[in-house]
Formats: sequence, structure tokens, C-alpha cells
Amino acid sequence: MTGEEAGSPHMQPLIPLLTTVLPVLYALSVAAYARAYADEASMSGRWGPGMLRSALLVHLVYLSARGVTEGHLPLASVYDFLSATALSIAAVYVYLELRQGIRTTGIFVLPIVFLMQVISSAYGGEPATRQPPLFPFWFEIHTLAAVLGYGAFFVSAIYGVLFLLMYREIKSNRLSFFFRRMPPLETLGRMNVSAASAGLVLMALAILMGIGWGRLAGVDLAKDPKTWLTIGAWLVLGFAVLAYHRLGWRGPRAVYASLAGFTTLLASRVVTDLFVRSFHTFR
Amino acid sequence: MTPVAETEAPGFDLFCVGLNHETSPLEIRDALVLNDEEVGRAIQALRERAGASEALVISTCNRTEVYARGSSIEDPPAFVAGLLREIKGMDLTGPRGSYLYAYREPDSVRHLFRVACGLDSQVLGEPQITGQVKDSLSLAAKLGGTGPVIERLLDAALRSAKRARTETGIGRGPISSAYAAVGLAGKVLGSLADKRVLLLGAGEMATLAARHFQEAGVTQFMVANRGRERGEALAAAIPARVVSLEAIPVVLPGADIVIGATSSQQLLVHEPAVRSAMKIRRNRPLLFLDLAVPRDVDPLVAKLPNVFLHDLDALGVLVGQSLAQRRAEVPKVESIIEDELARFLKWHGSLAVKPTVTKFRSYFERVAREELERHRARFRPEDQEALDALVHGIVQKLLHRPTTRLTRPDGEGAKGIARIDAVRDLFGIDPEDTDADRDAR
Repeated sequence: MTGEEAGSPHMQPLIPLLTTVLPVLYALSVAAYARAYADEASMSGRWGPGMLRSALLVHLVYLSARGVTEGHLPLASVYDFLSATALSIAAVYVYLELRQGIRTTGIFVLPIVFLMQVISSAYGGEPATRQPPLFPFWFEIHTLAAVLGYGAFFVSAIYGVLFLLMYREIKSNRLSFFFRRMPPLETLGRMNVSAASAGLVLMALAILMGIGWGRLAGVDLAKDPKTWLTIGAWLVLGFAVLAYHRLGWRGPRAVYASLAGFTTLLASRVVTDLFVRSFHTFR
Repeated sequence: MTPVAETEAPGFDLFCVGLNHETSPLEIRDALVLNDEEVGRAIQALRERAGASEALVISTCNRTEVYARGSSIEDPPAFVAGLLREIKGMDLTGPRGSYLYAYREPDSVRHLFRVACGLDSQVLGEPQITGQVKDSLSLAAKLGGTGPVIERLLDAALRSAKRARTETGIGRGPISSAYAAVGLAGKVLGSLADKRVLLLGAGEMATLAARHFQEAGVTQFMVANRGRERGEALAAAIPARVVSLEAIPVVLPGADIVIGATSSQQLLVHEPAVRSAMKIRRNRPLLFLDLAVPRDVDPLVAKLPNVFLHDLDALGVLVGQSLAQRRAEVPKVESIIEDELARFLKWHGSLAVKPTVTKFRSYFERVAREELERHRARFRPEDQEALDALVHGIVQKLLHRPTTRLTRPDGEGAKGIARIDAVRDLFGIDPEDTDADRDAR
């Protein structure tokens, strides 16, 4: 049975339209957040979050339509992975924005979301299909948690970089426009750690579900370098979060530790896709 | 007795005479601040001797201004100069002539709006003036100086100020070093509510900074001062714990913000003390705001991780940036002022007696006519004429007294304006509105 046979074709006509609409919605969100960043009295600061939430909703509809049509989570290609990660980053950002009430950092997060979705929409082509996995519950939860985890780590890394830029400005007494528009340094540090903590939980779930699935499906994941690279990255990030909470690490040291974990995670993705044969390589 | 205006709105004959930081030196402004009793005397004189129907006095450390409406005097600056000389015994003529400026309607209205929005303040966009304008209105109302026009005028002025604050950036950013210090602390440490402040010194700057930090939510203060007495006086006012200068290294680990504001010629906080404090603090951020000249804090501490040191120069940059930003917002505020001025003048124009009375009467007549037509079929043809006469008669009788009251010769007075305003409000009369407009609605 192919993936297409497994799915329902009813939502198929919607997909090309949403593939085009999504980057446009993200572009509009980027424009609104850019305006809000540049001019604090701008009214666009009010409609930016609304636009972004609309984009998120459309993105969910798009991925759901793909899922219904294809009969499995739409994560069959690297372009699918980019789109799902874009959604995940946007969702984590919206959550943090709602919690902290800070909108001026959106401009540093959303262009990445936009870029990922543009690449996915432009080069994704026809939706790729894959054989439905064995033990789909374990597999799909593993995939979903991993994508959400990547999104959280991306957001954490962006706030980490913003923290370092802000830290440097304050230390050197160069208090520019960037300084005025950013939230407090302490908040940036907290957002970095909060997003990393969420990423850790999600990635731990992804790893556990992956290992569980491997055992059930008889796949020896211990031989897959991706497994060890991800666990290594998880440990580094875990140490960064632990150091923040338990060892009282504050400032650049804690941020550098979390960035090191994120870099390892990103490197593991690149290495898996480009240089080694791995069960996780997108084809 | 002033004849009633018929087709024209009653002129508001408003003038404003005053002085501010641009026209007079500080010592003159300081000496001219009027207390409540003196404001009362001024308002009384304006009403009784200048024939003003309404009067208002705004007197702060940076300006004293007199607003009066409906006065019969020909030379308001001369009258106000004489009045202030009488109350304060001061001559308001400087080497370059009079310190006083004068505006007449509508420039006087525009000027009041500019004052309320902080455009006429020494520190552009400062917020206190709005409260001072509000207080002046309350005082004038208590002293019987205000009436419908000045009350409406002040409403519009305060609305302009509110719009300026919410719709523009005229009030954003710090405008003093002490206030900039609070903003900077917030930018580094986030919420200040749970932070501890160590004040080095107990002089004017330390007190001012402490007040600003208190307003920002700080509740835990320590004061280190050479003179114990002065330290205790500040500690009683904040309140705070007093320590000696020698105890600084001991209390340093417990502080999140250190404000240097002494006149000491030597450094009071040294790098080794901060290094060891950071170890005890487990590297939690520590912010030094050195407002002292010469410095209180060793510049070397800035090299330590998570230690932030800012002096007056850095804070001055923040203040300069804020002022530049505020200056850029002035055109937006001026546009709000013109908008509110137009609204106020439109309202005032609508106070013309004759159009209001005409609309008022036609409103009653129309209602009567409509009701008559609705029920006409229930009466016999031979009764129609009598019915018309009856209804017309009732309407005329009902309108007679209100019409007479509205067109009384004292129509320009506060009571007359209040009556016209009330009628317009009660019956929804807009003199620019035609019957066709009403019918369309």
C-alpha cells in the first residue's frame, strides 16, 4: 500500500494554494514586526501578532491537509522538515511572546521562519510519500517531538545571540537603538533558558520514543551516528540548563553553553544529511 | 449690559498672559510662584476688576500664567503685570523689556494645549505639567473662577495631553541622569521589585536616585555615608539600613545595584572587593551606577563578567537620545493639538444662540407634526383645524419659557452658555445639522 492510497484526496486541491499563501503570510508578519521594532508608536505593532497567529493557523491547516492527503505526518523530505521546523519556531515564539508580553524580538525570529517556509514552498515540489512506518504511534510521536524540540532550540539560540549582543552593548556603554528596543538582559537570558528547557523535554521525549520504536521495529539505532550526536547535544544543552538553575550560571557563560549544545544539534543534522549513512537521512 | 449674540457664537474673549523659562530668569519664576491664597486673590481681581466671567491661574516653578474669559480690559498684559506686582510686589520688567507674553484666542487655547502636552516645558514632554494644569483647574473651580468655557477648554487640554502620551513618544525615555539610571537598571536586571540598592552617599543626588528607584518598585535600600547623621536622615525617609563606608565590601555581595553619589575624592569601591563579592553572589549580575564626580567606583570592575559599570557620561548619552527622540515627536503632538483645537472651536461655534433656538423649536414642532399626522385619521374632518391649532398652541406654550431663557441678554455669561450647551446635549442639536440630515437618519 502506498502513502497516497493510505490518505484521503479530498483536501489535495487546497495544498498548492496554501503552499503559496504561507510564505506571503509570514512575509507580512515579518514586515509588521519590523515596523513595530523600528517605530514603537507604530500601529503595526498591534496587528503583527494577529498576522503571525493567522499564519500559524494556516500553517497548521496546511500540514494537516498534507497529513490527511498523504496518510502520515508530512515529514518525508528535508523541505517538509524545514516547513515543520518553521511552524515549530513560530509556535514557540508566539508562546514566549504571550508569556513575556514582548514583541520587539519577533523581528529576529520570524525572518528565519519565513526563509525556511520560502525554501520549503519553492523547492518542496510534489509532496514526497513514504511507506507507513511500523508502530506508527511511537514513530509519529518521536518525529513530532523532535521537530518541536528543534523549534524550541532554534528560538533558544536566537535569544542567546540577542543576549550576547545586548550584553556587549551594555558592558561597552554603547547604548544604541538596539539596546532601547530590546527587553531587559535578564529577560533575554530567561527566554534563552526557558526555550532550551522546553527543547530538552521535547528532545528527551523524541529520543525515548525513537529508542522505543527502534526496539519494537527491530532497528538497531545504536549504530546510527545521529542517535549519539543528538544524545551528545542533549547532554550539552542539559548541562547549560542545569548550570543556570543549580550552579547559578548567569550571563555569557550560560548562554555560550546553550549555544554550544545547539551548534552540536545543528551539526548532527547536517552531518546526518550530508556526510554519513544514517537511518535519519532525508532522501 | 452686553447684547446677546444672535447668529454668532458668543466670543470667548480669552486671553492668556504669563511668563515661563524662555522669557524670564529662574529667580523671577521662583519668586513669582503663587500659593492658593494668592491665586484666589488673582482670580477675584480678574472677575471683579477686569470683568472676567471665568479665570484660571497656572502657577508652577517654571511658569505663572493667567487665563481670563470675557474681560472688558483693553490691555491684558498691563493689567496682569499690575496684578502680579500688587500680589508679589515684583516688577516684571527685565533688561530686555517685559517678561510677560500674551496670547489672544485662539492662540491662547493653542498655547494652553501646548503647555498641557509638555511642549512648552523646560524639559520637553515632562509629565508633571499635566497634573499641575489639572490641579490649577480644581483650585480655580473651588475658588469659583471657572465656568463652562474654561472647564471645556481644560477638558480638551487634558485630552490633548493624554493623546500625546499614548499616541506619540513625547513622554518616552529618561530625561534626567537619575531617571536614566533607573531605566538602565531595568534594562539589565528586569523587574526591580526584588532588588537591593546600596546607596553610596546621602546627598541630593543619592536622595533623588533613591526616590526614582522607590517609584520603580525597589523596597530594599542600604545607605553608606561618611556622616552617620545625614545617612540616617535619608534612611528614615526611604527607609533603609545605614552602614559605614568601611562596611561596603561586607554588604556588597547582598546588593544588586550600587549607586555612587558621594563627593569623596577617593575611590570607595575597589576591584578586589567586587571580585570577591561576585564569588559570593555566584556571579549574579551586579550593576554600578556611578553618578559621582570624581568617581566612587574603580573603573576596573567593568572588566569582571556580569558586572556592569555606568557613569554620568553613559547616562548622559541615554538622556540625550531620549531628548532627540522627543524632539522628533513634536510634529505629531502639534497635529493632535490642532485637531483638539478644531474640536474645541467647533464646540464653541455651536454655542450660537439663534441657530440653537431655531433647531430646538423646529425639533418640537416636527415631533408634534409627526404625531399629529399619525393620529389625524382618528378625528373628524371638521375637527382638523381645531386639532392643528390645539397642538400648535401646546407646543408654543411649552417652548415659550425655554426660548425666553435661552435668548436672555445674559446669554454670553457662564449660565447662558451652560443652558445652550445643555439644550444641545439634551435634544441632540447640532447647529450644522439640517432637517434633511435628521430626516435621513
